[in-house]
Amino acid sequence: MKTFKALLIREYWEHRGAFLKTPLIIGIVMSVILILFYLTTDRFAMKMSGGELADFGAKSLDSVDPAKIQFGIDVFMLGSASLYHFVLFFILFFYMLGSLYDDRKDGSILFWKSLPISDTQTVLSKLVTATIVTPLIFVAGVIVSHLLFFVVLSLILLLFGINPFTVLWANVNYINNWGAFTVGCLMQALWLLPVYGWFLFASSFSKRRPFLIAVFVPVMFGFIWYWYNALVNFNMLQAGVFKTIGIYLARGFSPFTSGLEFSAESVDFDATEQTGSEVIVSMMNGFSNPDLYYGAVFGIIMTAVAIYVRRFRNTT
Amino acid sequence: MSQILTAQNVNKKFGNFQALKDVNISIDKGKIVGLIGPNGAGKTTLLKSVLGLDSCDGDLRVLGIDPFKKRDELMKEICFIADVAVLPKWIKVSQLLSFTEDTHPNFSIEQAKAFLKKTKVNMDHKVKELSKGMTAQLHLAIVMSIDAKLLVLDEPTLGLDILFRKQFYDNLLNDYFDNERTIIITTHQVEEIEHILTDVVFIREGEIVLDANMEELNESYFEVMVSQENYQEALNHKPLTIRKVFGKHIMLFKSSSRDVIETLGDVQRPSVSDLFVALMQEEEA
Repeated sequence: MKTFKALLIREYWEHRGAFLKTPLIIGIVMSVILILFYLTTDRFAMKMSGGELADFGAKSLDSVDPAKIQFGIDVFMLGSASLYHFVLFFILFFYMLGSLYDDRKDGSILFWKSLPISDTQTVLSKLVTATIVTPLIFVAGVIVSHLLFFVVLSLILLLFGINPFTVLWANVNYINNWGAFTVGCLMQALWLLPVYGWFLFASSFSKRRPFLIAVFVPVMFGFIWYWYNALVNFNMLQAGVFKTIGIYLARGFSPFTSGLEFSAESVDFDATEQTGSEVIVSMMNGFSNPDLYYGAVFGIIMTAVAIYVRRFRNTT
Repeated sequence: MSQILTAQNVNKKFGNFQALKDVNISIDKGKIVGLIGPNGAGKTTLLKSVLGLDSCDGDLRVLGIDPFKKRDELMKEICFIADVAVLPKWIKVSQLLSFTEDTHPNFSIEQAKAFLKKTKVNMDHKVKELSKGMTAQLHLAIVMSIDAKLLVLDEPTLGLDILFRKQFYDNLLNDYFDNERTIIITTHQVEEIEHILTDVVFIREGEIVLDANMEELNESYFEVMVSQENYQEALNHKPLTIRKVFGKHIMLFKSSSRDVIETLGDVQRPSVSDLFVALMQEEEA
């Protein structure tokens, strides 16, 4: 246990820039955009109406239905959280491709392997970093970013003489929206387990470019499958490989919509109008979807293969 | 247990290439063994099998453990330096030490810090900021702070200057080695380590061609400076090699007794590197 904890901390040390700084930088960028937005609007309003228009608009906020304000804040919080899910996937994509390859490339694997740590522990520490540790850091990052954004927004509201506590802070569904992101991270990890397992395998197996194995092998396989069915079975529509990969990726890219059906009849066209709690319930539908478990089994098998390969592949 | 390592009929094939051929050796506790062979002879392959980094056929036991099956267990008792440049570049010295402390039951962080105090290595440095020599000092400090039964060094001083190399082996002998420990070293700079070795193993094309301790070598191999008048007679004794230096012939003999050889000229102890060259040529002929 002590060893495993040390392994997780090692991953954090090595990738602190990507894991910790990225969510904070996105939060800072959102706040800076808000300030720029305020400055341009303010200048525009000054030029047009000597500032009266902006003041008038701001004042009218007091009489807006709190439900509508709540809805607007929900859209902002879930929308930006969705962006974080997307960014998280890309960070993990590059993290996992390098995770069992970079140390072989620079030879440091020979140091790691001189310590009494089994290859199983090493590979699992990478998987746990991708599925649990980094998402948790991102949850904290989202909370800090949202709070920073709300503080900046409060200052702007104060400039207009509006009480931010009644208009903003009292209308934020903290638990539902941050809860939705947290559950979203969990569902993202589960839906992407087959993809992560495949990345670990590519990283462990590759002698030159893990990217090529990770991306082009499935693409090639998909094309061969497609043409095989088109030419031999005269069935152009049976593009099963791409569809399967596509569904898992789509659910992983955007876990908030992962509980929705993809067939035309059952699509909920008002997906964006869901509140945080509705999103959570919808995502939980994934647990009753057998695809989730098939994917997880594939992910576990690929991780096992990655461990097997890791035992004897020490160089690139 | 006095036998640290035993190998019986160990073979390793890469495709059609036989990297190790029926390797049989056993290494006892308290030895410093030099594993010496030309490039591509199978040294690294053998060491990789010993360290559990690769599989092999045959019966290989290190401390009674099958290395490939239980590498993590074995690594509690042995440690190795595979190359000077294998420490991860991104890590800080302090992080490296605390990670090793958390993962290695026989590592003493106080000892490592004490070793590093004598060097210019700073706790806040990242490995990539260290010079090659300092990186080697750091690695040696970590390895010497591990209470291990077997230390394996594969070209540990490659690319270091002579001062660092000398200091490296001095530290190893004075601060680390005792009769409870065993060291296996491979290097191309044989001259630098031959005075510290107790045993040598020569390997060539995957086969062990010599496995002897230094005393045995001194009793069966002789280097003789033969003067011109004894030249013909010396040739009759079938020297392994002949070198000509300043008009005199230096011949290397393998003989069971020193008495006959002594009549030919001044007898010296051959250096391991000369012996190595001679044995490699003999095999080729």
